[in-house]
Amino acid sequence: MAYQLIEHTIAPGIGFHAVSDDRFKTARLSINFCIPLDAGRAAEYAVVAPLLRRKCEEYPDFTALNQKLCEMYGASLYTDVKKIGGWQVVSLAIRSIDNRFVFAEEDLTGACAQLLCSLATKPYFVNGCFEDSEVEIERQNLIDMIESKINDKRYYAIERCEELMYVNEPYGIDEYGTVETARSITPQIATQAYRDLMKHARIEVMFTGHGDCKKIEAVFDKALSSLEREPAGQEEIVRIAGAQKVLEHVERMDIVQSKLVMGFRTGTFADSPDLSAMRLMTAIFGGTAFSRLFVHVREEKSLCYYCAARFDRIKGVMLVDSGVEDKNREVAQQEILHQLEIMREGGFTDGEFEAAKLSLKNAFSTITDSPEGLESWYLIQVIAGTYTSPEAESRAISEVTKEQVASAAKKVTLDTVYFLTGKEDGEVLA
Amino acid sequence: MKQEIVKNTQLGEQYYKIEHDSGLTILLYPMKGYSSSYALFGTKYGSIDNCFKRQGEAQFTKVPEGIAHFLEHKLFESEERDAFARYAETGASANAYTSFDKTCYLFSCTDNFKQSLDILLDFVTSPYFTEQTVQKEQGIIGQEIRMYDDDPNWQVYFNLLKCLYQRHPLRIDIAGTVESIAQITAQDLYHCYNTFYNLHNMVLAIAGNFKVEEVLESADRILKKAEDFHVVRASSEEPEEVLSHEMQVSLPVSQPLFQIGFKEMIPCSGQLAKEYVLHTIALECIAGESSELYRKLYDAGLINSSFGSEIMLGDDYRCTIFGGEGRDPGKVREQLAAEIRKYKEKGIPETLFEQQRKALYGRYVRGFGSVDNVAGTMLGSYFLGLGEFDLLEACATVSYDEVNQYLRTILHEEKMALSVVNPQQ
Repeated sequence: MAYQLIEHTIAPGIGFHAVSDDRFKTARLSINFCIPLDAGRAAEYAVVAPLLRRKCEEYPDFTALNQKLCEMYGASLYTDVKKIGGWQVVSLAIRSIDNRFVFAEEDLTGACAQLLCSLATKPYFVNGCFEDSEVEIERQNLIDMIESKINDKRYYAIERCEELMYVNEPYGIDEYGTVETARSITPQIATQAYRDLMKHARIEVMFTGHGDCKKIEAVFDKALSSLEREPAGQEEIVRIAGAQKVLEHVERMDIVQSKLVMGFRTGTFADSPDLSAMRLMTAIFGGTAFSRLFVHVREEKSLCYYCAARFDRIKGVMLVDSGVEDKNREVAQQEILHQLEIMREGGFTDGEFEAAKLSLKNAFSTITDSPEGLESWYLIQVIAGTYTSPEAESRAISEVTKEQVASAAKKVTLDTVYFLTGKEDGEVLA
Repeated sequence: MKQEIVKNTQLGEQYYKIEHDSGLTILLYPMKGYSSSYALFGTKYGSIDNCFKRQGEAQFTKVPEGIAHFLEHKLFESEERDAFARYAETGASANAYTSFDKTCYLFSCTDNFKQSLDILLDFVTSPYFTEQTVQKEQGIIGQEIRMYDDDPNWQVYFNLLKCLYQRHPLRIDIAGTVESIAQITAQDLYHCYNTFYNLHNMVLAIAGNFKVEEVLESADRILKKAEDFHVVRASSEEPEEVLSHEMQVSLPVSQPLFQIGFKEMIPCSGQLAKEYVLHTIALECIAGESSELYRKLYDAGLINSSFGSEIMLGDDYRCTIFGGEGRDPGKVREQLAAEIRKYKEKGIPETLFEQQRKALYGRYVRGFGSVDNVAGTMLGSYFLGLGEFDLLEACATVSYDEVNQYLRTILHEEKMALSVVNPQQ
């Protein structure tokens, strides 16, 4: 392992995690607020990220803040809202070049850490609140963002299938909330959401880059150690091991290519002993360009451009998705199930088995070659509390046997079939 | 074989530029400490090269639209096993893509680099097409085209190009149409292959964890000396004027997506790196995140954080594109045009220029931290006649006066077009 991991607790529920590595020419820093998913409040928390990105006490003007970033050799600020396990994760991040490449003696990484802390802990308030005009803009942007999910049909279909599978569970809550909850956001509500994040969220600070992380740590220590804290605990994630019956759902839209998404329950979760076997099973079945789905559904039957399987270890769910002609839906669905049957019988070849192992090993090793890859890997580990390295995951995969793969496939049951398709002749859609 | 070492003192890094005896140019950028390597084998042949002849031939050949992309798909096949099945034994992650002016085959790996490289060099230089395999691919690519038909971002982009260009094949979708690919025959594929997959028209670019000697050994063993001939591409005789100034369509989207494009002249200064850097800085000063215009548009709710700009260029085309999402694209066009006029008259302020120059330098340096980016930019730059460090170096030499002079040569209002994808009623 070329890089080093350093960890430190700043305050209750506030962790500092550094991956120090001298290969990279960039430094990446992020503050991640992790709060249990809550249908009523997800939109309120989501709107906080862009509000923090706009300005702060130190830079009360958006344009002046962006010009400052240019002066910092084009450092970039990012916001992100995502779902990891049962947590909604609201992130504010900065990326810049490493100190070795600046023109004069200056601590650019230190300046980035300072700026990130300013933005996160000293927002620009008027009368103790985010400004009306700012909240109005970001509320509308949030509503637009939620509504724009229909623009990407493949992603939209996958999300719809997940919604159907996780109905009435916290995990089924969208990380951006709903249009209805977003509409009711006021400056007071957004400000309260920010205060709640500062007090109740788990806060995970990540640093990936070159050099002395002690200095960086000191900046965050100073900014975050005296916060008044009451970190929230997390509800247990609902686990459903197997499907009872298959739910079928068809939705129509004015599109030319239909999207088929099949959701399976696997009975395997992040802490299951057969986790690696299920990962490998998914890879042989539909995870690569030589997988059974790619070779048989795409190449042999010419039914689609893509047909792939992915596995979510937190929810123990495998999704298969494909873009097909409306008339080919049945054939594609039957062929996907037929290939799964072959997996169950152990009918895959030694070549396929070894190839999938190599491919997963390659994927795990590549993660460590970019600051983004490392940060995203370790953030998930920190939040899930698992803390394994990509190298260890890779070793666990290499120990899986063919029989274990077939056993994993036998546990998989079809739960939901979602089909997004064009309108019928003469039909007018709203 | 000719070998040159290209260095950059700012980064303290270097790469090898090798003219291999086979006729292939090889660019090698070993990067210390990385576990993966990224290899790209590309030909200067894309969707716009659909009317051509070898030098000396009397007639131009016109081939069906989308054939370069079709050829990319088919090259993965061989008489025995396809390339994906062969890569399966090395663990490499392989792919390919076709753009307007190039086709590239790539893999990324952490182990078995040499075996993967052998596969790459071998399958790209060993075509095998039959009428049956061509037919089979028509179904798969047909679905790929369908997928793009439903992609509003792709539609807004191609509609813009259809406004800007009257005759240039940039107007045509890279994958062609279901009808045009139905006309492709195995013989067409061989003809295009033999014309453009000539090693003199190709480049191999590798970055990351590998040894230079390993690459040379594979190249010596696998690549055969190619005949050096010149391909003449028929001129599109594209007029200077745009075809139309606006195109609006409706698709299932939540709010309008728009692109505002400017058709640009191609200067013959021979200083592409400098032009590119000046062009980029000018765009950032006018409409980048730190510009006055960006804030004005954002505060008025006319754009969101997806707004940005890019320069698209090739040997015989160049345009500037601003794109985003918002309720009133017409207003964005109006305010953008006014801002451009203002800066052309008054000049870009010097402080803004210096800020953007520094920011651009940082952006380029960051790019040198990732193996796929280094391999990708080495290949892209080479086909444009540039070296891998040229943009970074041009960043240090461009001057304030030059940016204002350059600005007056681009972004002409009479060559502006707007493409919008509206939500359905």
